Amino acid sequence: MRRVLVLLAVAVFIASLVPIALAQEEDDSVVLRIGDTQNWSSLNPTAGFLFADYEVWNMHYGTLTNKAADDFEVIPGLAESWEASDDGLTYTYTLREGLTWSDGEPLTSDDVVWNITTANEQAWANHYATTINLTAVAIDERTVEITSSVPDPKLPAMDFYLLPKHIWEPIATDDVAVTEYDGLDGVGSGPFVLSEYRDQQSATLVANPSFYGWEGEDPPIDEVILQYFANPDAMVAALLQGELDVINNVPIASVASLEDDPDIQFIVGEQGSFGEIALNGGLAEGQPHPALLDLTVRQAISHGVDRQAIVDDLWLGLVEPQDAINAAADVSKWTPEIPEENRLRYDVNRANQLLDEGGYLDTDDDGIREMPDGTNPIVLRHGVNTDGDLAQPIAELFQGWMAEIGIGVEFSSQDADQLFETIVAGDYDTFFWGWGMFVDPDYMLVNLTESELGNYNDANWTDPRYEELYLQQKVETDEATRIEMVHEMLNIFHDSAIYIVTSPEPELQAYRTDTFEGWVRQPADIGPVIMTQTGASYPLLQPIGAEAEGGDDVNWVLIGGIAAVVVIGGVLIATRRRGTADERE
Amino acid sequence: MSGRGRFLTRKVAGSVLTLAFVLVFNFFLFRVVPTDPVASMFRGRGVPQEALDNLRTAFGLDQPILTQFVYFVRETVQGNLGISYQTRQPVWEEIVSRIPATAALVGISAILSALIGTFGGIVAAWRRNTWKDHSITSGTMLFYSMPDFWLGMILLVVFAVVLGWFPVGGIVTAGTNATGLPLLLDQLRHMFLPALTLTLAYLGEYALITRSSLLEVMGEDYLTVARAKGLLDRVVRRRHAVPNALLPVVTLIAINFGFVLSGAIAVESVFSWPGLGKATAEAIRGPDLPMLQGLFLVFSAAVIFFNLVADIAYGYLDPRVEDR
Repeated sequence: MRRVLVLLAVAVFIASLVPIALAQEEDDSVVLRIGDTQNWSSLNPTAGFLFADYEVWNMHYGTLTNKAADDFEVIPGLAESWEASDDGLTYTYTLREGLTWSDGEPLTSDDVVWNITTANEQAWANHYATTINLTAVAIDERTVEITSSVPDPKLPAMDFYLLPKHIWEPIATDDVAVTEYDGLDGVGSGPFVLSEYRDQQSATLVANPSFYGWEGEDPPIDEVILQYFANPDAMVAALLQGELDVINNVPIASVASLEDDPDIQFIVGEQGSFGEIALNGGLAEGQPHPALLDLTVRQAISHGVDRQAIVDDLWLGLVEPQDAINAAADVSKWTPEIPEENRLRYDVNRANQLLDEGGYLDTDDDGIREMPDGTNPIVLRHGVNTDGDLAQPIAELFQGWMAEIGIGVEFSSQDADQLFETIVAGDYDTFFWGWGMFVDPDYMLVNLTESELGNYNDANWTDPRYEELYLQQKVETDEATRIEMVHEMLNIFHDSAIYIVTSPEPELQAYRTDTFEGWVRQPADIGPVIMTQTGASYPLLQPIGAEAEGGDDVNWVLIGGIAAVVVIGGVLIATRRRGTADERE
Repeated sequence: MSGRGRFLTRKVAGSVLTLAFVLVFNFFLFRVVPTDPVASMFRGRGVPQEALDNLRTAFGLDQPILTQFVYFVRETVQGNLGISYQTRQPVWEEIVSRIPATAALVGISAILSALIGTFGGIVAAWRRNTWKDHSITSGTMLFYSMPDFWLGMILLVVFAVVLGWFPVGGIVTAGTNATGLPLLLDQLRHMFLPALTLTLAYLGEYALITRSSLLEVMGEDYLTVARAKGLLDRVVRRRHAVPNALLPVVTLIAINFGFVLSGAIAVESVFSWPGLGKATAEAIRGPDLPMLQGLFLVFSAAVIFFNLVADIAYGYLDPRVEDR
């Protein structure tokens, strides 16, 4: 009897699972799925600092002006037009007609004024660099006058994230309180606004019907889901299986399998990021090996580094080596060609020659050169950044190359935070790191100035002419002139041989060609399609044909598994009872 | 106070002292290497110095270290673990929100590996030197000797990538609106492979300890007496041998449960499981000092608590332990 009851219970349980397995969400919403290996920090623009945060903000928050996808030129955003004053210091922006926030509240010049004023009062981290010299006055609902206290070549670009005053004003009571807000109100003016956020998992955005870019039409995409993957190989598998539409941070090892798939487009997205082996310029308290203070030694080291090998072995030939650092995302405009006679390309003979001529000889025949007085063998303390994938292989390659020219290399493995402190203290000779770019070159150029010593100047270097040009370019509003200045600065820095640029560091991305079309590369032809400066693709994507539903037969495996366990368990329980009588003593 | 009472009080007081020591030690340990979390976090973001200095003040980093310490102790005993540097949200909330994911995955794996491993060890000892013993011992040792993340990657590739039976990562299908039972099933589907990985990886521990403990007991005189009385083999095993052999296993279980919260960072990374292990790895970046202090406080408390439980349980279970 008991056995029958148990089996009956099991059958009922299994039966109850069937309708659940069969109940699939009938859903014709169009969903764009993005995979990345970067997590979010905070979705509050006054607090967050990770690239994944910027990607959400690029969709969620509109900006007064936008930047063209092909060349970053200033184009209308929330503002449809603007006029400059005679002195070029004041711009009057006219907002588009009928703008509202995604919650229906009107978007007016009051929002703009409040943003600029409060960002300055509270030094909002991601706004301050743009707003620091600005004051704003609302002329009327749609007109706002913004004045800069100094000539600013970035104008009329006004691309800080516009926060809704009616949501943020009660929160921004002081500079600390504003950063402690979680930013999850979901009110924005961009094409998509945040609807759900699960830390370390996913961020979901829904189409904002009041976005001006839809031009009154229905948004072609209903939802955008950004999914975080701790395992890049799993992310690639998800793209190949059709569970994702586009991914960022493709591991090099997966490039071949993506290129083989006819429905997937793999791209190498360059927006100016680069890597470099940096030498200690000597301006911190800790000093480099004295040999490094000699320009010819630095030149020799640069001649000893085989950039082509880095590009071929570590980047599979997907990029080209370059000599100068980049200063901005538009490399073709801001990065100069270094004159042939100044180049420090791979040439072991030349490197050895320079060192021999400088008197750095290997007097004791141990393979390591010494200073001209025969003491102090040249052994470089090289910091290996354990937070990056490339630092380890490049460190090993570097050690091999330096051995060819009689220089020793010792490793010191440190995570990014420790390495940062080591650089500030100056207790190193070389390390490998890199920089990402903004659209305006000032953000990178400032890193090599005296004012950033002890902070972000990881070259520990200055140059008086560079300093002079830096101050000039900062207020030079004629672009052609400014470009010349920046080119001269980058040539000066190149000739100092403090940074040995190893290669560009592009965003490796892949997208399915059978689900969405209209992907936009920013900058044109060579840039990435997502994680770009402005998120140019998102308002322009269109779904291709009908959305395919992901297979749900997997539920059956689980149901079957549970059912099997329950059945077996039930049978075991039912049959086991027989033994009890025998066991009683 | 009775002997038992004294015993308990002593143990609990010792645990509290240990936790206090951990608190103080961790505070200074994280600050041994000088760091500048604000500068680290915002490197390459184009943030002017003034804004960075503002943040340093907000984080309390411009105070002398002893002032920071006093503030830290005062706030912690009141239950305020501070604000995370990276998310700017209260550390306590950040940790509590992630506990269920880690506790579910690692807890279930701990229970399953304890149950299956112990059962396997019992069989292996009772059927010593038969094929059952050999297969159980070598099988569990094989899995135990594999790095758990490697085992996880193999399972992921075979069952999720190639066969497509399970998802490739996460705790739920991203962007899902499911609730109730469908949500639970979705979570179970996502938990299957990582739980399988952790269970397989730690079977060996329980199997071997149970086996050797039971083998020791099997040599005891009272078992010979039981058999002489005419009891069936399986009754001897179930009523007389196994309970006495389980004492070390109970201790092992209690100790392993202490480590449940510290999670399994490697397996969490392979399966993109949003747990405390992953949160710790991210907090090291910065470093996010309040988050690290909070996480390690919680981990230490769990370990200390379960050690206390093991201590007390052993005292109750084994009447031979003296109440000193």
